[in-house]
Amino acid sequence: MKTNSTGSKMFSLILLAAGLIGLIGALAMDFSGSQNAVRGPMLIIGVVLFFVGLYFFPTLKYHRQIVYVIFLFPLLFSFAVTVIIPLLLGIGYSFTDWTGIKFTQVVGFANYIAMFKDPAFIWSIFITFIFVVMNMVLVNLFAFLLALLCTSGMKGVGFFRASYFLPNLIGGIVLGYIWQFVFNNVLIKITGGISWLVQTRTALMAIVIVYIWQYAGYIMLIYVTGLTQIPGDVLEAAKIDGANATQTLFEVKIPMLASTFTICTFLTLTSAFKQFDVNMALTNGTGSVPNFLGNYLSNGTQMLALNIYNTAIAKNNYALGQAKAVLFFIILACVSLVQVRISNKREVEL
Amino acid sequence: MKKKLLAMVMAGAMVLGLAACGEAAPAPAAGDAAPAADAGAAETAAPSGGSGEGIRLVNGKIEVDAMLKEAAALYEEETGKHVEIESMGGGVNIQDTLKGYYQADNMPDIFVCGSDADFGNWDGMLVDMSGEKWASDTDAAYKNDFGTIGFPYTTEAIGLAYNADLLEKAGVDPKSITGPDAMKKAFETLDSKKDELGLTAVIGWCTEPKDLYWSTGSHSFANYLDSGLSRDDTTYSDMLADGGKIDETRFEHYAEMVGLFNQYSDPALLTSGTYDQQILGFASGKYAFVTQGSWIGATMTSDDKDAYAEAGNFKCGMAPYAFEDGIDTILTNSPSWWAVFDNDNKADSLAFLQWLSEDKGQEILVMKAGFISPFKSCTFVAEDPFAATISEYTAAGKTSSWHWLKNKAGMDQNALGQVYADYALGTIPDAKAFTSTVSQVLQQYYAE
Repeated sequence: MKTNSTGSKMFSLILLAAGLIGLIGALAMDFSGSQNAVRGPMLIIGVVLFFVGLYFFPTLKYHRQIVYVIFLFPLLFSFAVTVIIPLLLGIGYSFTDWTGIKFTQVVGFANYIAMFKDPAFIWSIFITFIFVVMNMVLVNLFAFLLALLCTSGMKGVGFFRASYFLPNLIGGIVLGYIWQFVFNNVLIKITGGISWLVQTRTALMAIVIVYIWQYAGYIMLIYVTGLTQIPGDVLEAAKIDGANATQTLFEVKIPMLASTFTICTFLTLTSAFKQFDVNMALTNGTGSVPNFLGNYLSNGTQMLALNIYNTAIAKNNYALGQAKAVLFFIILACVSLVQVRISNKREVEL
Repeated sequence: MKKKLLAMVMAGAMVLGLAACGEAAPAPAAGDAAPAADAGAAETAAPSGGSGEGIRLVNGKIEVDAMLKEAAALYEEETGKHVEIESMGGGVNIQDTLKGYYQADNMPDIFVCGSDADFGNWDGMLVDMSGEKWASDTDAAYKNDFGTIGFPYTTEAIGLAYNADLLEKAGVDPKSITGPDAMKKAFETLDSKKDELGLTAVIGWCTEPKDLYWSTGSHSFANYLDSGLSRDDTTYSDMLADGGKIDETRFEHYAEMVGLFNQYSDPALLTSGTYDQQILGFASGKYAFVTQGSWIGATMTSDDKDAYAEAGNFKCGMAPYAFEDGIDTILTNSPSWWAVFDNDNKADSLAFLQWLSEDKGQEILVMKAGFISPFKSCTFVAEDPFAATISEYTAAGKTSSWHWLKNKAGMDQNALGQVYADYALGTIPDAKAFTSTVSQVLQQYYAE
């Protein structure tokens, strides 16, 4: 943009105008339901022309900003289309009587009120929190112990590391069905003729076990990385000072792993909250609760994500499901923010 | 230099990503629902809005996919009109997938609907077919305020299926099962002769709530709603629709029968058995009764063919679920219907359905797919173990309807299935407690 000549200004303005016309024309054709095959190329050419025009716009002051915007645009656009717009639409739908096809009226907060009056949903929130707490503790505990084993320098460590990690490579749905078979046909012989999956309490335990089995190997890998990154001279110094294995573990290794713990708690927390596939394939939320707030519930093991899915799909109530999903998003966002803040603070202190 | 290269690579990856999005867009979701073999054909199906590309039918019975394709091929040979068959099954929620298709502007021209709730999704978007020729040839079409909007393609029956050869050997006459006492007596007789007959249990009855909720919560519960009633009697389904109420006396009688099933079922499968195990057990002659409907005939003669042959390809029949004296009907209905979406292709869709209801279509549907024709003019009889017993009941006028299709969406899965499991497990001790729990659960479910 060496010259600010009127010629280049004209050129850029023409490009901008042509681009906009193409863009708007294509969109108008699309929204009016036209099947004309020109509209696709027209849209793309319109966008390209618009940005070329923008790039050649004769300004020195804003040229840099314009370039930034042009480069950021593809990413921002995809982010908006796949995340921001669906999120806003979803929040919008939660205030209507949307059926998944259309909505006829705006119902205000009715969905949100119905949701909190539903004991089954309260139960789902309740057991999700229990599940999250149990998992956060147990997965990290098992993963850390496995990591200690895998860094202890014994023979065949590579093999064990790989085999602990292997369950994580199996998808949750497949894994759920495999374990359903195990619980219903193999372990039933130990558990006295009644499968663990048929009663709420044992079924919840079953989900926790399967989840640990699936997830501990993955978290273990992160701990292994953390443990191997502890500088050798620190460990050597501890040894020379006469620290035994326990002291080394608690006074040296664990404090030095603070950031790893942050990452792992964060990962287990959010993934346990979003638990869906194992839950669906293993019990699909079945299990009875004879008396919860005076009600008989038949969704004993149904966690939040599955409850939302079920509300929309099985009960054919999309709007209520959407309202629950908005709450789910809020809970998850809050928990994650608090978690990150606390962890960051602790990291600094240590 | 290195940085520049890296930037180039990243920009390239991004462009590729966007390009890939563009490529995928024209055929939304066609790949994940249609079997791999359809991949090529899906291309032709994608621009559903246009005409001249043929029509597309979404079928909900994956087991007859090949036969429907055969019918479509024959139709194309005769008329030159292409029909694309897209089959869904195996746990796919069809209505939900269809909603996705609708949002993606990829609606099929004909699709399956199975209940009032399903049809309710598409209020005002379906073609009224009351003027079609086939409509006067059947009583099984789906009708509501919007007209005749469902094309029936088969008939299924819910009844207490039995192994006729075994009952004969044990000296139990299935015709004698006309009330709860007779049923109990038959069960006791069979139970006492278990070893002699090679039975594992008297009845194959599974209440596992995760995968078999539909068997208990819909099909078994259907007997409370309809058994013994005339086809248009909606007394109990109307009561249910009115805030989830049940008739406690009738239900308790029904509950006692369920208790009898719990008692005489195979304990290994009662609370955690699967559909496959249940049918295999019946097909291999290990159970004298089974609590599944006529559709198991298809499984017995295909997947379980060997076991069924080994057990002597025994004759099957159906007794009424006689939980009260005088109940003498089995429940028959079209299990689901094909609806025509109101679009530019509707004339072609209607023509294809009409063709299916005529001789050439019926020959494939009945003789190959094993459907039991809902059309009066059809002369084909399927070679299904249950076909004979269904036509016998139909001819005698001893059939009741399936008003459970009016149940609130998801009621079996989200409310009833678990209660049946608890009853089988013993956490709900008796018929009285079962009745009161069901009553409570249903009222709760309808109040939501």
